[in-house]
Amino acid sequence: VDTPPGCEGWEELYPYYALFDEERRETDEKRFWFWNSMHFPLPMPAFDAICIDTAYQALGSWQNRVFAVPPAMGIDYRCINGFIYISGNPVTEPEKVAERAEHFQRRAGYYFEHWDELYAAWRAKMEGLIAELDALEVRQLHELEPDEVVFGDQETTYCAVLDAYRRVLRLADLMWQNHFEFLLLGYGAYVTFAELCKAHLPDIPDQHIAQMVAGLDVSLFRPDAELRRLARLAIDTGVDSAFIDGRSPAEIDAALGEDDAGQAWLAELEKVKDPWFHMATGDGLYHYYGSWLDDPTIPYASLTGHIAALKAGEDIERPTDHIAMERERLASEYGALLDDEARKGFDELLGLSRTVFPYVEEHKFLCDYWFLTSWWNKIRDFGGLLAEHGFLEDREDVFQLSRLEVYSALDELLLTWATGGQPRGPTYWPPIVARRKELLERLAEWTPPPAVGAVPEAIMDPALIMLWGVTTQRVHAWAQEPEAGSELTGTPASPGVVEGVARVVRTVSEIGDVREGEILVCSITSPAWAPIFSKIRAAVTDIGGVMSHAAIVCREYALPAVVGTGRATSQISTGQRIRVDGSAGTVTLLE
Amino acid sequence: VSEAGHTRPLAALRRGDSQSFGGKSSALGELIAAEIPVAPGFALSTGAFRAFVEEAGLDGKIAVELSRVSPGDVDSVVGASHAISEALRSAPVPESVRDLIARAYAELSEEAGLPDPPVAVRSSALGEDAEDSTFAGQLESYLWVRGAERVGDAVRDCWVSLFGPPAIAYRAHLGQDEPAMGVAVQLMVDAVVSGVLFTCNPVSGDPSMIAVNASWGLGLAVVGGEVTPDDFLVSKVTGEVVRERVHAKDVEYVPDAGGNGTVRVDVPEERRAISCLDRPALQALVEVGRRVERAFGSHQDVEWAIARGRRLPDSLFVLQSRPVTGLPKRRSTPENATAMGLVMSWFGAGDAEV
Repeated sequence: VDTPPGCEGWEELYPYYALFDEERRETDEKRFWFWNSMHFPLPMPAFDAICIDTAYQALGSWQNRVFAVPPAMGIDYRCINGFIYISGNPVTEPEKVAERAEHFQRRAGYYFEHWDELYAAWRAKMEGLIAELDALEVRQLHELEPDEVVFGDQETTYCAVLDAYRRVLRLADLMWQNHFEFLLLGYGAYVTFAELCKAHLPDIPDQHIAQMVAGLDVSLFRPDAELRRLARLAIDTGVDSAFIDGRSPAEIDAALGEDDAGQAWLAELEKVKDPWFHMATGDGLYHYYGSWLDDPTIPYASLTGHIAALKAGEDIERPTDHIAMERERLASEYGALLDDEARKGFDELLGLSRTVFPYVEEHKFLCDYWFLTSWWNKIRDFGGLLAEHGFLEDREDVFQLSRLEVYSALDELLLTWATGGQPRGPTYWPPIVARRKELLERLAEWTPPPAVGAVPEAIMDPALIMLWGVTTQRVHAWAQEPEAGSELTGTPASPGVVEGVARVVRTVSEIGDVREGEILVCSITSPAWAPIFSKIRAAVTDIGGVMSHAAIVCREYALPAVVGTGRATSQISTGQRIRVDGSAGTVTLLE
Repeated sequence: VSEAGHTRPLAALRRGDSQSFGGKSSALGELIAAEIPVAPGFALSTGAFRAFVEEAGLDGKIAVELSRVSPGDVDSVVGASHAISEALRSAPVPESVRDLIARAYAELSEEAGLPDPPVAVRSSALGEDAEDSTFAGQLESYLWVRGAERVGDAVRDCWVSLFGPPAIAYRAHLGQDEPAMGVAVQLMVDAVVSGVLFTCNPVSGDPSMIAVNASWGLGLAVVGGEVTPDDFLVSKVTGEVVRERVHAKDVEYVPDAGGNGTVRVDVPEERRAISCLDRPALQALVEVGRRVERAFGSHQDVEWAIARGRRLPDSLFVLQSRPVTGLPKRRSTPENATAMGLVMSWFGAGDAEV
């Protein structure tokens, strides 16, 4: 793979082990590496690479070292031109698989048996982490230490700041540890249920399986539910006239602040914000995806839309009763089609899936959205400290340094602040930051191939299949030459057929360009984009399975969706007419 | 069976009548009892066939000819077929049987409110359409037959088809002897579209799907494999169309302008490449498929037609139904499997003790 022009030296953004190298060439070339565009659709800023290292430390630990999943160890990654390619480490020796199976039985069995209590403890742990993160203080550097250092027992500032930085990194480690604790087992139960369904009902649409398992009271849907409630409240209390299309959140707040009714509504909004505005504006693995608190454009646009819909007499409620009834109806009708023997397994696995699947849906809000958006802000506080002392031009620049470089910069800052000497940082770091920002912009224009390396005969890794929907079949489809053909195939994720104009969205910042009635084409959608789903007619993604969050939201909004097409964003252009068949899993380019 | 019992309205037949009226007629009776739309008609018993053979004094000849057949010897099959068919064709249909047919046909005419209504005359052999031996396509049907005289002739032609070379060879292969046959006579459905549906996916065995093949005109084109039909897979559970493949349908069978029989014509250009079933028609087929399956308690292979000049659901008729044979075996679930045991085996820990 060639380096795109002007991107020479991109390697400096990443750790030495993240690159393909001569020493590992022989083994790496025999492996299959696919672009993880689901989690990393954009070139990685140096700091954000923590979401690769730590996440794969955690995934590998649970899958390989804790549960000893028999056929698979963990996920390796390599970086090409800023984009992240991943590859599973299989366990190939049968004796080894058998040995691991014994540990797996005992360990995973314990988790399944004690799921409810372990999961309750998990929630408490996550909430504790978030509270600890909120409480973490980045102290300012004053001319003299405060009196408390002398007369109380307060730490000196250099100790406190370095300790806070180590702790913020540690909190990320812990969050990722928690993130993967249940995930593989949760998906495992779901996929086993799906496999049983497919063995006996070979043509069952994937979305019907998902519908039978899906939770009803999922925190991912709460933020939008709260917005709908606030929209009704605005109409009931007569403050809805403040919500005019095109007004900024600040302008709406100002209009509401003018009278008592408006202020009462704003007070109600404040109550909702914690925790529901910790929803992210994009999938949380990049620092620039903030929360609704950081950028209220999405929730305010959504409020305006809900109010307009209500006034037009539309029903904006999520049809919970209907979803619940349909979930039971599908389960009983499919169950009735099976013979007694299969029926027993079906009922058992459906029960287990419904027990464990809420975790799969819930962890996203707590880990990826709430924790991560708060965490990036805490890193910004460290960036602010560095910027204040001239090490960076802007606090946002902190994300252009790796987490170890930030540690090094803080080290020097505190050293020279303590000594009163002249720091080198202010001349050393800004040019590095400037160069990297430019590199990232250029790298973003490169279109990464879906996969590199040797195509394997079969994919056996549960994590790859479960998390990325990377199956043997999909891999072989990717391996085919991208033809000029007019049809893309992917996983049918939400039923229905529509034709319309495509809007290709490659970064979250382009979300604002989406117009009413367009078909969203993106690498991966995020449930945090929920409000734009009321605008679009269908969604197409490059990657993701039927359990991906894009698929979940599309089913919620009754929009056709095809996910995991491999190359929709590179084959389709904005403005092109396309037909999306969410039942067949095909996208037809009509012009 | 007494002479007067040789005909019976289809509506009066049930599964238990298959020995005396053949598989197809008794299945049609069962469908009518389940209130599934079937064109009205009457059935002729196997006794009528025996009366015909006896009166012509041909039972000895048939037995002798058939005894010379050896299953693997094509010449012996063709020779016997030729000899028996010739003899049957030159024998008269007994007057008493002709009278019975004429009376039943007159009643049908009254029911249809038409003089000489067009009917379909179809074989209803013993053993035909049974789960373990499918005679599919080996016995004749005669469509668009009008007038009592012609109906009587068509009945004899059906009987003769019992001794066509493929039918003889097939029976010899199965070791069956003493062939006999009933006949079903039904008002013709003037089909705009017709085809076949399976109450499961016959390829994958999925019981939650209805598979539909359909083409323009009478069902001959689909059943005879003369067109590649439009192909649909529809979920029984939600009614969603999960697969739709529309093919170019070049020919169709329509009634002959002369009023008797059918002709094969080219499908007009503008109808060839378009789907011959819309969503409401597919929904009606799913509904009927589910009811047929329930009526028989097993997966069924159903011929159907949508009649000209009527509206759904009244335009949809079931022409025949028989059990699906040769479904793929599905992977079995281990006995007494617990959810956890199944999850473990998915993770590749299946061999260890749970």
